[in-house]
Amino acid sequence: MFAFWIAAAALSAAAGWLMLNASRAAGLRAAQGDPTLAVHRRQLAEIDDLAARGLLPESEVRAARAEAGRRLLAAADAPVEAVSAASGRRRVLAFAIAAPLLALVIYGVVGSPGLKNRPYAARLAEWRSSDIETLDLPRLAAILRAVTVERPNDPEAFHKLATIELAAGDPLAAGTALRRAVALAPDRSELWALLGETFVVQAEGRVDVDARRAFEEALKRDPANTSARYFLARAAIQDGKVAEGVAGWRALLASLPAGRPDEIATRDALANEIAAVESSGGLPSVGGPQAQANIPDAAAIRGMVEGLAARLQSQPDDPAGWVRLVRAWSVLGETDKRDAALDAARARYKDNPEVLKALDQAAEAPR
Amino acid sequence: MTAELGAFALVLAFALSLAQAALGLMGAHRPALAGAGVGAALGAFGGVALAFGALVIAFVTSDFSVANVAANSHTAKPLLYRVAGAWGSHEGSMLLWCLALTGYGAAVAALGKGLPFTLRSRVVGVQGALGVLFLAYTVFASNPLARLVNAPVEGRSLNPLLQDPALAFHPPFLYAGYVGFSVVFSFAVAGLIGGRVDAAWARWVRPWTLAAWSMLTVGITLGAFWAYYELGWGGWWFWDPVENASFMPWLIGAALLHSAVVTEKRGALSGWTLFLALAAFTFSMMGAFLVRSGVLTSVHAFAVDPTRGVLLLSILGVASGAAFLLFAWRAPSLQRGGLFGLVSRESLIVLNNIILTAATATVLLGTLFPLIREAIDGDSVSVGPPYFNLTFVPLMAVAMLLLPFGPLTAWKRGDARAASERLKLAAATAVVFGVAAYAVASPRSVMAAAGLALGFWLIFGALAEVAERTRAFRGPMAETLRRLTGLPRGAWGMTLAHLGLGVFTLGAVFETTWKVEAAEALSIGGRIDIGAYSLSLDSVRTAEGPNFLAERGTVTVTRNDRVVCTAEPERRFYPAGRQTTSEVALCNRGLDQIYIVLGERRVGASGGPAWLVRGYFNPWVQLIFLGPLLMAIGGLVSLSDRRLRLAAGRKAA
Repeated sequence: MFAFWIAAAALSAAAGWLMLNASRAAGLRAAQGDPTLAVHRRQLAEIDDLAARGLLPESEVRAARAEAGRRLLAAADAPVEAVSAASGRRRVLAFAIAAPLLALVIYGVVGSPGLKNRPYAARLAEWRSSDIETLDLPRLAAILRAVTVERPNDPEAFHKLATIELAAGDPLAAGTALRRAVALAPDRSELWALLGETFVVQAEGRVDVDARRAFEEALKRDPANTSARYFLARAAIQDGKVAEGVAGWRALLASLPAGRPDEIATRDALANEIAAVESSGGLPSVGGPQAQANIPDAAAIRGMVEGLAARLQSQPDDPAGWVRLVRAWSVLGETDKRDAALDAARARYKDNPEVLKALDQAAEAPR
Repeated sequence: MTAELGAFALVLAFALSLAQAALGLMGAHRPALAGAGVGAALGAFGGVALAFGALVIAFVTSDFSVANVAANSHTAKPLLYRVAGAWGSHEGSMLLWCLALTGYGAAVAALGKGLPFTLRSRVVGVQGALGVLFLAYTVFASNPLARLVNAPVEGRSLNPLLQDPALAFHPPFLYAGYVGFSVVFSFAVAGLIGGRVDAAWARWVRPWTLAAWSMLTVGITLGAFWAYYELGWGGWWFWDPVENASFMPWLIGAALLHSAVVTEKRGALSGWTLFLALAAFTFSMMGAFLVRSGVLTSVHAFAVDPTRGVLLLSILGVASGAAFLLFAWRAPSLQRGGLFGLVSRESLIVLNNIILTAATATVLLGTLFPLIREAIDGDSVSVGPPYFNLTFVPLMAVAMLLLPFGPLTAWKRGDARAASERLKLAAATAVVFGVAAYAVASPRSVMAAAGLALGFWLIFGALAEVAERTRAFRGPMAETLRRLTGLPRGAWGMTLAHLGLGVFTLGAVFETTWKVEAAEALSIGGRIDIGAYSLSLDSVRTAEGPNFLAERGTVTVTRNDRVVCTAEPERRFYPAGRQTTSEVALCNRGLDQIYIVLGERRVGASGGPAWLVRGYFNPWVQLIFLGPLLMAIGGLVSLSDRRLRLAAGRKAA
């Protein structure tokens, strides 16, 4: 705090000194004559110089000389604005004092005196030395990220980081960490399966190509891996191979332990899911894997869409986001909101035919 | 502490600018006050420089307690972009603008010792007044060092499109150019106040114009180059409002450069030169307004904020309004300069000025028309390349047709026949090249052939002028060499700039007419043909960057089954901002480039993954960027002319 005020005072003093010093020097120099004449004289000399070097045709030399001469004479005759000899030192002193004072007053209003720098490295060190119980998920993730930088060959560090990132709602960061983890420890099936799960979260519940590949890698190493078996069967149902998928789930259900309460809950959830698929002939709806047992209700979906809309308000430069938003409103049957989003997005990407086309398709999504 | 000290230094710079404006304008007849104004100008620059340094430190150390850093940076961002992030946002770029503004003010204050005392004092004062306006805006309406009490854990990151080397350096050059015109503006206002705008004044203004214009040329070229390879659309100029915003001051600046020469050599056109000097910075300020107000949608506009827009528009209105009022009041009483005949270099320069100004007006209309239309009947329209091709291009073609005559026509009273005589060979050569292009290049295009002929005409015209001046091929070699080494740098600068325009024209015409484009969804091993070249997608793998994930394709480019190059286009995903960008791969083939974009992954015909690969064969595209570079070098060579240095700097011996 003191250091800041001392530095601010030093800056103010330096500014005042600059003004006073330059003012003193100017007083000494003002007596020197009008440099305008020198410029005109030099122009004359330049004409001679060019002529001597043969760069100005003879025909032009005389006229140019005469004209430059006339300009010189005119400049010499022109009234020179009078320069007062009065010192004005007192006024300069007033300015030199007033300027820093004004700065101080304004700074008091717009600045945050006393607020220290908070460089990231220092904050990270603070979090690391504090009680882990008091930290929230993003801070834990930041610490674990730093750990992975320090131990770039430790798959477990990346695994932990991925778990926290997933919990913090950042499946992309989790995926990045897990890719490093499986590269370091390619034999650990549970890492592969977790990687697959992050892909499923990223794809908003769909088991996509990347996820399948990861689950297959997991099964190769551990044919009994529960998560991989569950999602590969789910992928089959997603593809329309319902019987095959349900058979996979039944086999999985048979092999699940049923001792602890949580194990029983898992079994029940899977049994319910099997029943639902068998009655409807397919997956009921797209939900995250956390939502395997309880599919998010309409309110939750609406909340997610509202969240997306809010994000696009603050960070609108996201064509894919706009397309998703338009499709979401369209699917929810909110034509007004869909049209509003569509108009906003169209105006934004009016020069980008690809995005426009995607927007139109999204707007026509089935109700 | 640095962040708050920077914030204080910024406020101090504002207060010092106030002092600078008052002292400079009051001190025109009082050396002590004027001197203090000079000191204040140096201090204001120092203050902004400290603030800027503090912001860079905050970005480099990822200090998210600074709101601007939290909104525009991220710990995973590479160092270069953390530094460049300091001017990548609206607030930071305003600080850069102020840095340039006070920097130029300090430069005039420090280097202007050879200027008449009253003129220098007023220039410093007016520059201070501009500083007051822009620093007030920066301090009160978009303070880059505003703090957050609860700093977020992680920043929101800079728009990945801006994370690019060309764009890291584009704003500093652009602003050095934009804001460089502020000095010219201040000189014009100071000249109007004093009522003395003559040959000497023009000579003092010229170095600043040259510097600003050259920097702006480099800035715009870097921007065009960035748009070319970063946006992945294969083009380099889109007549986008933001591009136009930077192009208008450039056009006016080019007109000013020429008109100031007339004022300097003949004492004529002083009113017109003053007008252009005021207009150049007015357009710069308008650019700042258009980019930041959100009135126009553009690929590279800053965040939409109407309040800030209104403030910037007010600054523009106050500064330019006052200056043009002064102009209307004082200009009629200015001294008239030398007379000149209908056929003379002056007349040709006047013509050039009229065309450049008309061209600026067409660009202005095209840029603002959507706004006007929306205000009148609420329709949203966009004005695109067809409008500019029909208005701007023909105007420039006329200017280019006339250009080579200028340097070969004498001052005061020229001889059109003699000039034509000297350009005969250049004209004939240009026509031959044009006809050859028509005959050889396919598809045939009369317009393109004419455009190429125009480009060659500019190049050979510029060379003919050098040959004429040095009596090449008409006298002994030794004589020519002597004259060649004796040519003033200013003459070389002009020749380079005109050559550059020719080179650019060649590239622009060739590339737009004969570029070949193809796009197809390719599975691994698939290929597409682009003209004589064939692209095959060998592999696509996932790669991890410091702050992005990428799919990196390996594309082999072959011609007649011979491998020409291996390109690695990427499609990057930046998780921090959830944005995707394409990283274009370029294969240089002489003046041509093969331009490859890797698109989104999709499901191919066989069910396996496929990627949309777009390829362009861009012939002579390098000339498009080389031409403006030559122009900028021309400007700088001119700037290094001894005569200007003496005039701008110390008192003559």
